[in-house]
Order: sequence, then structure tokens, then C-alpha cells
Amino acid sequence: MIRILSALIRASLMVSFQYRSDLFFEAATGILRCFSAIAPLWLAFQHTTAIAGWTPPQAMLVMSLFLLFHALQGGLFEPNLGEVVQLIRQGNLDLWLIKPADAQLLVSLRRIDPSYLWDFGVSILMAGVCIAQIGPISALDAALAALLAVNGVLAMYGLWMLAICTSFYFVRVDNLRYLLTTAADAGRWPASVFSTGIRWALTAGVPILLVTSTPAEALRGQWTWTTVAGSLGIGLAFVGLARVAWMRSLASYTSASS
Amino acid sequence: MIEVEQLTKVYRVPIREPGIVGSVTSLWRREYKEVRAVDAIDFSVAAGERVGFLGPNGAGKTTTLKMLTGLLHPSAGSCRVAGWKPQDRQRDFLRTITLVMGQKQQLIWDLPAIETFALNKALFDIPSKQYAETLSELTKLLSLQEFLHQPVRNLSLGQRMRCELAAALLHRPKVLFLDEPTIGMDVEVQAIVRQFIIEYNQRYEATIMLTSHDMADVARMVRRVILIDRGVVRYDGSLEGLSREFGSGRTLVVRGNGPVLDRLGFSLMEDDKRRLTISPDRVNEVLGDILRELPQVELTVVDPPLDDVLRRAFGEKRE
Repeated sequence: MIRILSALIRASLMVSFQYRSDLFFEAATGILRCFSAIAPLWLAFQHTTAIAGWTPPQAMLVMSLFLLFHALQGGLFEPNLGEVVQLIRQGNLDLWLIKPADAQLLVSLRRIDPSYLWDFGVSILMAGVCIAQIGPISALDAALAALLAVNGVLAMYGLWMLAICTSFYFVRVDNLRYLLTTAADAGRWPASVFSTGIRWALTAGVPILLVTSTPAEALRGQWTWTTVAGSLGIGLAFVGLARVAWMRSLASYTSASS
Repeated sequence: MIEVEQLTKVYRVPIREPGIVGSVTSLWRREYKEVRAVDAIDFSVAAGERVGFLGPNGAGKTTTLKMLTGLLHPSAGSCRVAGWKPQDRQRDFLRTITLVMGQKQQLIWDLPAIETFALNKALFDIPSKQYAETLSELTKLLSLQEFLHQPVRNLSLGQRMRCELAAALLHRPKVLFLDEPTIGMDVEVQAIVRQFIIEYNQRYEATIMLTSHDMADVARMVRRVILIDRGVVRYDGSLEGLSREFGSGRTLVVRGNGPVLDRLGFSLMEDDKRRLTISPDRVNEVLGDILRELPQVELTVVDPPLDDVLRRAFGEKRE
């Protein structure tokens, strides 16, 4: 699997490096994207000292986790899962399905968009600064936060995969993807700013809070074993459902006429 | 190597009334009809055989190939390729086969073909030594050397297709499914590709199933053909048998002149060549008549063109 992944990443990077001038514009766009995301929060903190109980470094930590996810979504989910729709419509999915590797893995990881590496770098840096400002964090809190962040990303991946599987039946599902990315935008705010209903929707429906607020709360030491188990359960459910949906979709795949 | 029993594929296709009213209505009430793309077909292909799978557009050729490669799950019936059930998509099965689609490409557009080969090396887990040997062999056989390191987007169609073939064969598959492999190529490249496929078949004793609308491909590359039309196998046998069964007859071409030719109804072609098409069972009788009166005449017996045979085959069966 590592051999296949490194070959896919190598090919992806080489394609990007074919267009050198683009690299500079991509870098500028990525950095600008991060700053424009931070701007509203920064402006808000010019007039208040806390948002729904979250201090500036804590809220900025949520924002940096959101940007980290945004980088994964733009750099990995969009170019791979987003393109499955196109692959199905044009019949080119056939060429990936006859490779002797897990087809779900291939369609999920066959391309990366390196332009989002800038977002990735900036958000990691931001998260580091925020964590340093929050103060001492126990090893358990840090480990749980990391586990919950990975779990949250997997849950969102599962949701994306479920959405993409619908394209095997309905072919054009672009608007569903836009709906997902728009809903995921809510993840830039701490969970406590939302009402209970919306918080549930953003935890178990479009589980973006599992990527942002839940790990940030763990870093603040605000977690219980129940919330950890619940989060992991939701993550597992999304990944499991995505796998079942993918296998069912392959069984009913009709390919495109040639 | 390939066993197909009662293989069936039924598609559920949405239908709607034409025009804007139909489009709007289909938003909440959609009707479907079932299309039997492949309808209970049976055939088997022995290891090392080269078989042409022919039929008009929409006959079910590509659907069958896609079921044999595991891309589509059969609606009924079964198929086995090299002992595997294709729809299980076992990795060893996928390492045994390849599918080349003349109208689709796996080469990475912005990179040289050698980079797609490197990716396939990883995907198919080809040992480095075997990869180097096969690559060198394919490079030589397909004359790839001069453009192997150029971005695919800068290659001509013929060069791209040769690279496609190499990419599809790097793992040395034992069963090749070729769907219109020479489509859009010029005559010279077609000849290279045909020769290469025959050599690959002989060198590795690979089994080859080929679909093509180009009868020169068929005549050059296969000895056996399976005719499919509207999802049903109409003929399975030798090329010669096909001509006998569906050909309009055999054509005698004579260079010379004599009353016997006029009497038998020969028509003038060009210069002093004359031609007569007759049913196969009359050939010996007519040859005897000619040779009795014109023993020194130059005479050729020609099978009908394959295109004509197929046109008749599909025309007759549809009537």
C-alpha cells in the first residue's frame, strides 16, 4: 500500500511541477486563502475577549483545525472524490477498476493537489502558535485530540464517499458536493456558538465539528469518555457505511457506453 | 481459459417524453425500460487462442468484455476467466488480464509515458528485473524509444496508442481484451500494432479477445470469430466458415478472353480481367468448364470481402 501511495503521490507532484509558473500563483492563493479565513475571527476579537466561552487562542485553534481540514478537502477529497463523478460519466473509472489494488483506495488517493500544501503548512503553524498560547497540555489530552482529529477527518471522508457513491446511480451529483463543502464551512466556529440542534447536525450529520471543535475541546481538557466513545462511534459508522456503499455501488456499476 | 454460460446483462434505462414537458415530468415521475444488452450467451475460448468478437454498434460486445474483466456484474449466467469469477475482482485475476480500450487512455496526459509505466509497476507490483526486461522488450517491439520520455500530450495518436499498449502489457497478462485497439490509427501504425499483438500472443501464449469494426484487423489477427447481434451470439466459428455461411459466394477472376466466359456470364473488370461471383458449390463445375476451353488461363478464386460477409450476416439475421 505504501509503495502504491508513494507512486501516486510522485506522479501527482510531477504533474504539478510540469507547470512551474502555476506553483507561484498557487502559493500566493493558498496563503491569501488562509488569511481571508482568519480575518472575520480576528475582527470579532477586536471587539470582544471571548466567543461563547472560547478565548482568542482557543477559537483560533478551532480555525486552524478548520483550515487544516480545508486543506485536506481541497488537496485530497476534491481532486479525487470530486473527480469520480467525471470518471463515471466518461467511463474512465474502468481503467482504475482493473488495477490490482483496492479500488476505493485508488479513487480516494490517486491525486493530490499540492497547491493546498501551503494551506496545510500555514494551518499547522497557526495551530502550533495557538497551542503554545493556550498553555500546558497533558499528554493524554494531546493524544486524544490527535486521535479525535484523525477520527473526524475519517468521518468527513466517509460522508464524502457516501455522497460520491450516489453518482453511480444519479451520475450528476455536483450540487451535493457543493452542499457538503458549504455545510463544512460551519466548522470554522466553535461548537458552542450553535444551538443544540445545529450542533447535533454538525456532529452526526455533516460531522465537521468532529474535525474542529471536538479535538480543540480535548486539548482544553474538556472531554469525557462518553464524548470520546461517541465521536469514535460516529467516525467508525461513517467509514463503515462508506465502505458498504462503495462495494454496493461497484456491484451496480454500469460503466459508460463506448 | 474463458468460459461463458448463459451470460446476461440487463440495463435499466430511464425513458422520458421528448421536449421540455417530458423533461419537467421526469423530475418527479421517471419511467424505466429494461434493455437486454447481452442475452444468455455461451462460448468458450481456449488458452492461446485469438478470437474476434464482432457485431454492429450496440450489439453487446463491449458489455461482454466488461463482464469478462469484472467491471460489470452479470444480471444472470456466469463467466470464468483463467479460473476466476471476474466480478470478484481478485488481485491475482486483475494481474492476469488486461483491457485496452481504443477510445480511452490510462496514460497520464501531462507526463511522459515512462511515468505511467512506473506507476503501473507499483500498482501491479512488478519486480524491478521483470519490469526492466519487459519494458526493453516492449520498447523494441513497439518502437517506443524515441518518444518514451516526451509528455503524452505531445505525442501523435499512433504513438500514444503504442504507449497505451505497452502500459497495458507491462505486467505480462495472459488474457488480453482489446476493444477497438486500432481505432483512428493510420495504416502504418495499424500494421505495427497488429504485428505486435500477434507476436505477443505467440511469445506468451496469451489468449486474445478482440473487438473491431476494422475488418483488416480481424482478417489479420484472428482465425476464429464470434458474431454477436442484439445481445445474442449469431455465429461462432472459423473465418472461412463465416464466409461460407454468410458470403454471397466466391468470386472467380480470370485474365483472358473466350466465348466460355461470356456464356458463363463473366463481366469485364479492367484491362483483360473478367469477374464472376457464384455460390461456393458451383465453383468446381465452373472451373472445369473454363479450364476445358482455356487450359492456359490465369485464374484466381477470391473469398468475398469480410465487410460484405458481415453486412450480409447482420442484415440477414435482422430480417
